[in-house]
Amino acid sequence: MEPSRPESPAALFEPSGRFDPRAKLIAFLFGFGWTLLATQIAALLLLDAAALAAVALLRAGRPWRRVLLLLWPTLLMFAIIVGFSAGATAAAGAILRLLALVTISVLFFATTPPERLGESLLASGLSPQAVFLLEGTLRFTPAMALLVREVKEAQESRGIRLDGFYLLRNGAALLAPLLADVMRFADDLAEALDARGFGGPRRTPLGDYRFKARDWALVASLLAVTLTPLALSRFYPAFSIQGW
Amino acid sequence: MIVCQALRYRYPAAGALVLQDLSFSVAAGEFVLLAGASGSGKSTLCRLLNGLIPHLHGGEIGGVLSVAGQDPRVTPPHQMSHVVGLLLQRPDVQCLATTVARDIAFGPAGQGQDRDAIVRRVRETAEWLEIVHLLGRAPHTLSGGEQQRVALAGVLAMQPRLLVLDEPFAFLDAAGAAQLRVLLRRLRDAGVTLIVAEHRIEQLADLADRMLVLDRGRLVADGSPDQIMTGDIAAWGLEAVDGPLSAPPQPSAATGATVMGWEAVEFAREGRPVLRGVTLKVAAGEAVAVLGANGAGKSTLLRHGNGLLRPQRGAVRVSGQTIDRRPVAELARTVGLVMQQPARMLFAPTVRDELAAGPRALQRHDPAWCARLSERFGLDSLLDRPPQLLSAGEQRRVAIAAVLAGRPRALLLDEPTAGQDARARAILRDLLAECAREGLAILVATHHLAWAHALCPRWAVLCEGRIAADAPPAEVLARPELLHRARLAVSVGTA
Repeated sequence: MEPSRPESPAALFEPSGRFDPRAKLIAFLFGFGWTLLATQIAALLLLDAAALAAVALLRAGRPWRRVLLLLWPTLLMFAIIVGFSAGATAAAGAILRLLALVTISVLFFATTPPERLGESLLASGLSPQAVFLLEGTLRFTPAMALLVREVKEAQESRGIRLDGFYLLRNGAALLAPLLADVMRFADDLAEALDARGFGGPRRTPLGDYRFKARDWALVASLLAVTLTPLALSRFYPAFSIQGW
Repeated sequence: MIVCQALRYRYPAAGALVLQDLSFSVAAGEFVLLAGASGSGKSTLCRLLNGLIPHLHGGEIGGVLSVAGQDPRVTPPHQMSHVVGLLLQRPDVQCLATTVARDIAFGPAGQGQDRDAIVRRVRETAEWLEIVHLLGRAPHTLSGGEQQRVALAGVLAMQPRLLVLDEPFAFLDAAGAAQLRVLLRRLRDAGVTLIVAEHRIEQLADLADRMLVLDRGRLVADGSPDQIMTGDIAAWGLEAVDGPLSAPPQPSAATGATVMGWEAVEFAREGRPVLRGVTLKVAAGEAVAVLGANGAGKSTLLRHGNGLLRPQRGAVRVSGQTIDRRPVAELARTVGLVMQQPARMLFAPTVRDELAAGPRALQRHDPAWCARLSERFGLDSLLDRPPQLLSAGEQRRVAIAAVLAGRPRALLLDEPTAGQDARARAILRDLLAECAREGLAILVATHHLAWAHALCPRWAVLCEGRIAADAPPAEVLARPELLHRARLAVSVGTA
């Protein structure tokens, strides 16, 4: 979280956290890959347990609970559909897989401020435009949510309901002003970006992002955990991993 | 600094020229007030000065334009931004990064400055604009006034020699406007050339060295503000500095029957009290102004009136009955709310359909009443046009007429004068006065004291979530300590 008290700008720009955002991104991609490739319930249980332990260790329980509160009806629906079509084991597997994916994503996004991820990628040579795409998405998501709410409130104030079934009937009353406003917003944003000098060939990263020994260690361990069982199972079939 | 000779401009696919034969020059260090009604070409000229036109908008340009020795027509905006700082109308869109510190650093980082220089620039600019305490905050959590200061900081951090501001006073309360005036004075003293396009010329008439007036794209006056404002400026859609507050206020048409009532309403947001025991009644035929600083709770009070927000304590009564959990769409039969951004209310393909949409949803469509409203609000010639393509003043009139088409007994308006020129404000004031005379209860939240003085015989002053005064304007104006506490004092002095 960003502090709200007065603070030196330099401190606000410096990288925070134990690991470089790029190391975390690599860990996130490994976790995602393992989860997608896992086929056995035991392997998925192991991944879920590891991810939940990391949530507890990194104190990301609150955002995790918030996301799960939003997602549990979807998970339940998914389990019922898979359960009826492919059986209880498949349903349990699907739920465990989704839970692991959600938990790994929450872990990554709760502990990695996107502007710092963007900055670190900028330091690695990513274009300023791509970095702004990442940071701008985050910056303007609350503005878009507010816009949707204001349009809904404006229409309901005129007697035009937009809840439940009425959204289907009166959807144009939400969509038309929303589209018009989003287009205006995009125009204004393009002007603001140009007026602030965006579009030049280079951009200075605000923080000093460097891969440190612990970042290399994290990446090396992830590689080791992935490649060792593969190598063992290739040369010694007795070590074959059943879960993956 | 600026040389402009026989400059003309036409937007792509537009028939008429927006700027015609403009010729003027501005010396380095001058402070120029650019005045004119809506559509006179002020914003277009601002965008030409830093190359947004033609690089972003295209169009057809003729004549000569030079800014600090560069031609904005051939120099891309990101290079022009080293010389010309442009602050646009909507501060929320101009705060580009996730924190204030990063936002201020955005320009210098794009200029490729080294990290130490950026940090130094951010610190100096934040100190200069007194926003050091906001550096770690996310821009979307700030008030409109704070966002504007952050957006200005982002522009100033690039150290432009020419600063162009487009309607910077539009959304500011009196205290915010006073702060901005101080800043502009300091910038002028620091030698920055300033061009400020503004409807509220009373804010700058005593500060600017020079005033340019545009009327339908032509330069119709160029001189000192004092000299120009002694002439007939109303013909150009401008308002005299000392006019409306000296005009007699509207007589009250209240009939005595209370339509809307807030009873000891309390409401807190994110643990912060916004309304603290607010009690207010509005009778049929009465026009009441709710005045207060940005963040005083004016919009929150209005949103309680039609059920968009529900009191955490206390009650809101409409026609004598508490609103309890009644849906907003049902309350719309009695209470209409027109929001600050009218475009967000408009969705129909034509103005005619827009007027009918609300009443149809409420199952009380009366074509004769809609026709009468259309005539009264001057919409007859616009009936077949898409509402989203109208000017801001026209959209405001359509939105109010569309709400009134449902025949509510009370009308709540949130900042109806924001971004409106003097002519549009005067038309709106007369229309609302007429509605009040016919028995409509009107509650209007506004920063514009002069406008409120001419429309509302009763003022309710919101200060720190409480109604600090509920009295005729003369009584409120006679209490300087109250005006100061409610951050209205500066407005009175200059309005």
